[in-house]
Amino acid sequence: MLQPLAQNLAYGIMVGALYGLVALGLSLVFGVTKFLNVAHGELLMVGGYVSFWAFSLLGLDPFLTIPITMVCLFFIGGLLYWLTFSHTIKLPEETKIKNTLLIAFGLSVILQNLAIQFWTADERGIPVDYAGKAVTVLGVRFPAVPLISLGVAVICLVALQLFLQKTYTGKAIRATVQNWEAASLMGIDIHKIYILSFAIGAALAGAAGTLVAANYSIFPVMGLDWTMKALIVMVLGGLGSIPGTLIGGIILGVTEGATSFFISNNYREVAGLVLFLLVLILRPQGLLGKKES
Amino acid sequence: MLSLEKVDVYYKELQALWSISLVVNEGEIVALVGPNGAGKTTTLRIISGLHKPSSGEICFLGHRLNKELPNKIVEFGISQVPESGKIFTGMTVLENLELGAFVAKARKEKSQSLERVYGIFPLLAERQKQQAGTLSGGERQMLAIGRALMSSPKLLMLDEPSFGLAPILVEHMFEMIAKINQQGVTILLVEQNVQAALELAHRAYLLENGRIVTEGNGKELLSFESVRNSYLG
Amino acid sequence: MKTKQILLLFLIFAVVLALALLPLLTKKDDVINMLIVVLLYMTLASSWNVLGGYTGQTNLGHAAFFGAGSLVTRLLWSAGFPIIPGVLLGGGAAVVLALLLGIPAFRLKGVYFAIGTLALAQILNITIGNVLPDMSFNPGLANYLLAPRYYLFLGLAVVTILTSYLLVHSKWGLGMMAIREGEDAAESLGISGLKHKLLALLISAFFAGLAGGAFAYYHVSYYLNMPFGSEWTFDPMMMAYIGGTGTIVGPIIGSVFFVGIQQLLTQNLGAYHLIIFGILFVLIVLFLPGGLVEAWNKIQKIFSRRSAPKKSGIAFKREG
Repeated sequence: MLQPLAQNLAYGIMVGALYGLVALGLSLVFGVTKFLNVAHGELLMVGGYVSFWAFSLLGLDPFLTIPITMVCLFFIGGLLYWLTFSHTIKLPEETKIKNTLLIAFGLSVILQNLAIQFWTADERGIPVDYAGKAVTVLGVRFPAVPLISLGVAVICLVALQLFLQKTYTGKAIRATVQNWEAASLMGIDIHKIYILSFAIGAALAGAAGTLVAANYSIFPVMGLDWTMKALIVMVLGGLGSIPGTLIGGIILGVTEGATSFFISNNYREVAGLVLFLLVLILRPQGLLGKKES
Repeated sequence: MLSLEKVDVYYKELQALWSISLVVNEGEIVALVGPNGAGKTTTLRIISGLHKPSSGEICFLGHRLNKELPNKIVEFGISQVPESGKIFTGMTVLENLELGAFVAKARKEKSQSLERVYGIFPLLAERQKQQAGTLSGGERQMLAIGRALMSSPKLLMLDEPSFGLAPILVEHMFEMIAKINQQGVTILLVEQNVQAALELAHRAYLLENGRIVTEGNGKELLSFESVRNSYLG
Repeated sequence: MKTKQILLLFLIFAVVLALALLPLLTKKDDVINMLIVVLLYMTLASSWNVLGGYTGQTNLGHAAFFGAGSLVTRLLWSAGFPIIPGVLLGGGAAVVLALLLGIPAFRLKGVYFAIGTLALAQILNITIGNVLPDMSFNPGLANYLLAPRYYLFLGLAVVTILTSYLLVHSKWGLGMMAIREGEDAAESLGISGLKHKLLALLISAFFAGLAGGAFAYYHVSYYLNMPFGSEWTFDPMMMAYIGGTGTIVGPIIGSVFFVGIQQLLTQNLGAYHLIIFGILFVLIVLFLPGGLVEAWNKIQKIFSRRSAPKKSGIAFKREG
């Protein structure tokens, strides 16, 4: 009895770390610019397809395609920002937030349908030969692909944390999150910070996309589901906290696992969404976040 | 050094400043005083580029500031200590100061600037590693001023630095400002505490309802009947 | 002024009459089917517009009401219930759902309301898909006639648009628009934010539910959770924006435009129509937030300015 539960928990944690990475980019962009990029899932999807291309054309191991994916998505993200969101900066707060939501949503429609054109609506996956191998600890199996994904996710999270804490640009980003006017009075170019954050967020979405392609499969309309997952984790873990994002991801992963174990696999998603709504309504700053001043 | 000529400012449809003209000469301490809502903060905001004037000219050392981005204006040599300091509470004292020296030029001189600031505010050196959010009101103001000094500005603008401070701290604060000025920084001071501001300043402007009503020598204005009645009663 | 209004009314009447007579004039089923799609979208876009356009609350869960209406109607009809009451009950079910969801949902503001409604619609989508996974077959398949379905959609579209019009010109409509401009400011004037938003939501949901019922009557076979899909929120929303939110005519133009482009491009370029529509949508949000209606108004202004100097000497003098 204990082993299946422990196994379920192990999966929950591995999946949770992946969810944390999925949410990381969205959380960064939201924290800095205050807009909600609902096309985040589509950026993830594009990342998955870039990996798939690199895998099919160059024969690279999916995890090794991550740097390529991140660089591609960094530029795609920057370009999309420059074409669209950069025009909304001058608007008053409420209109800006509503318009950016709509623009993001328009982008998601465009990206989805472009993907259908380029890659057809079929599902794609990236199978690896070592998919069957696993590390077993105390009778609990940790399969290779999810385990490596957990490692990658943690590395990305730590890397971002270090970037934000130790580099001047990273600190400038944190300053912008806290008070953009004061930040601009320091000589920080807010426009540059915004586009940089967006590009980094896209790159992180791309890396997450590779992991999704390796662990599951990718298809053009998968974006919305993953955007929802990112939103759930963001709300659970609280904004502006990188460790919070990882913990939020794990909470989601474990909750989904528990739901599929005790209720049914069909309701995994629903459990997450219900949790999301409860937290939104009862504790909007997230389980770990601080109340906005 | 800094001049505003016939500047009009609107917030949407509402006019906030009417044909404001003022001048700040190098080395001076100029005070901008007036009641709440007169437009003092707005004046600083447009100089810093956080808001744009609809007409008039803002010039600083030969640069026209009207359409410039805030970060550019910092590069020209103007630094503002905004109302209530607006320090980055989620970062340490040292990180706040470092961010003050964000501009490329200032970054090179970071260590010297840091020493200078610690010289004026030794307290900040003690509390380097502390989270800025845990500082008291007076300490936060010091940090805000220190942070603004990190970019080695030629003109330092302060928006109500005495706000919310106990009287003894206010005295200390103004002493600090005088000291900074003696070190060669020109000061534009916005204040509701008219007495202290006028005693400190070389020259002052009185702003009421978005218009400059009087200007003159600091001590002169103090003796002005109307000023005494309205603000010092 | 008065002659203009009478002409406009006459024009509307003529169009509706023409549409009503259409099935008698043509036997081409694909024309009728296309018009049904346009009318369906018109209803969905107009109903979305009540909450999203006039009241300014971006509702990303509109499909939940469409789905609820279609679900209830289809199930009732399959069980032998007559269709028209079935459709009405579908609308009713959507209203009940709106009441249940609206009250907690309105605790969320702005962006959070949008994603909250999105989450709610997704929950329903997945749950229905789990609970009722089988394909549903049209109970009226044996003697399926297109005409009654066409008239149902036509009638529904007309009623929805008419209700929108009346609502907008009532004091409730005024309150809703005040809330769109700024809820706090409106509240300080004594306009109850919650009451107006709830009313807008219920009306919006009711017509989406009725549309769902009509859909259940019309569609031959589909998975019962299909109408809960997010495209049934997003497409009408885009149509409303492109046509012009916060106007009566906007959703109408938007839906005609959408299906028009769809028809034009399907022949040549397949799914490209959504890409083009998406790009258009983004461009409009960025540069022309009033949609095609705003574009039309601007064009009118340019033309009237050209003719002004002839008409009024005052304008001429001012320019001199």
